[in-house]
Amino acid sequence: MTTRISVKNAETGSSVEMELEAENTVEEIIESAASYWEVSPGAYVLRRGKAVLRGQSTIVEAKIREGDVVELIPDPEGG
Amino acid sequence: MGESIDTDFLERDRHERMRRIPWIDLDAVRTARVLVVGAGALGNEVVKDMVLAGFAGISLVDMDHVARSNLTRCVFFREQDSERRRLKAEVVAERAMELDPAVKITPYTDRIQDMPEDFIPSHSMILGCLDNVATRLHLNAHCYNEGIPYIDGAMDGLIGKVQVVLPPETACLQCGMNKTHSKIMELRFSCTGEDVTFYEPKVAAEITTTSIVSAVQVREALKIVSGRAEAVLSNVFYYDGLRNVSETLEVSKNPDCPHHGGQ
Repeated sequence: MTTRISVKNAETGSSVEMELEAENTVEEIIESAASYWEVSPGAYVLRRGKAVLRGQSTIVEAKIREGDVVELIPDPEGG
Repeated sequence: MGESIDTDFLERDRHERMRRIPWIDLDAVRTARVLVVGAGALGNEVVKDMVLAGFAGISLVDMDHVARSNLTRCVFFREQDSERRRLKAEVVAERAMELDPAVKITPYTDRIQDMPEDFIPSHSMILGCLDNVATRLHLNAHCYNEGIPYIDGAMDGLIGKVQVVLPPETACLQCGMNKTHSKIMELRFSCTGEDVTFYEPKVAAEITTTSIVSAVQVREALKIVSGRAEAVLSNVFYYDGLRNVSETLEVSKNPDCPHHGGQ
């Protein structure tokens, strides 16, 4: 059973569809999206609405559902 | 002869305008002992705002020296400071005390990790103005264990964020991290130029974003010191200057985080 979601790149506005298995984690979504868009090195998090999704969570634990739109956002570390 | 009224008394009190803001406890602000870690772009702005807002007891830690690339975003640095390779913490302390001679800013030019065990706990609040994940986690861990409020600021170009950690109520910095943070753990996203190691050159600081992030850090510090915990940012303030968006993001406690085991 796969779950199809849309991942949006906050920096460019572009989107990509992803097909996920239940055991996929939020970190895997982040890494796949970052690799697909060849984003600049740095830290990123995935948000759904106002919530920052926990990296280690599976998509089941994160309650990611078919048709969800999540967004990849940079997590700044400069000072 | 009748009583005379001194019409200049308002002007003699430099904090008279701050005293008009009812929720600010200026006595508490003046006596708070605050640690600022990092005297780069964010550190300059944070210390400036703190001194102007009335904070009078500040410890400032930074091991770096001033580089020419700092001059476009650091209000306290001058050309001669970079030419003489002066230490950032000392320059900021010296110049910020010119703003208010009653303020005591003590500079420390070691790494925060090398400071004595009792150094961090001797402060009532910590403001992080750092450029790397490893040092952030060091401060985060010490603050959480000691129950000290920690206000972390960070930015990259026009993106900025502030997270307030109020142990044990809120999530901590580590709760919101993932593998991408681990990969850059020891890397520094500084504006110092060739003097530090970059993984990839990034636009670490941009002064308008720096001003916004630092202002939010100091405003939250004022709330904490003034006993307005209910009004303190309990999640992450996230700012995107390119899209003109600022919003609050929710980071929940991670039960796998070493600081929240079993919660």
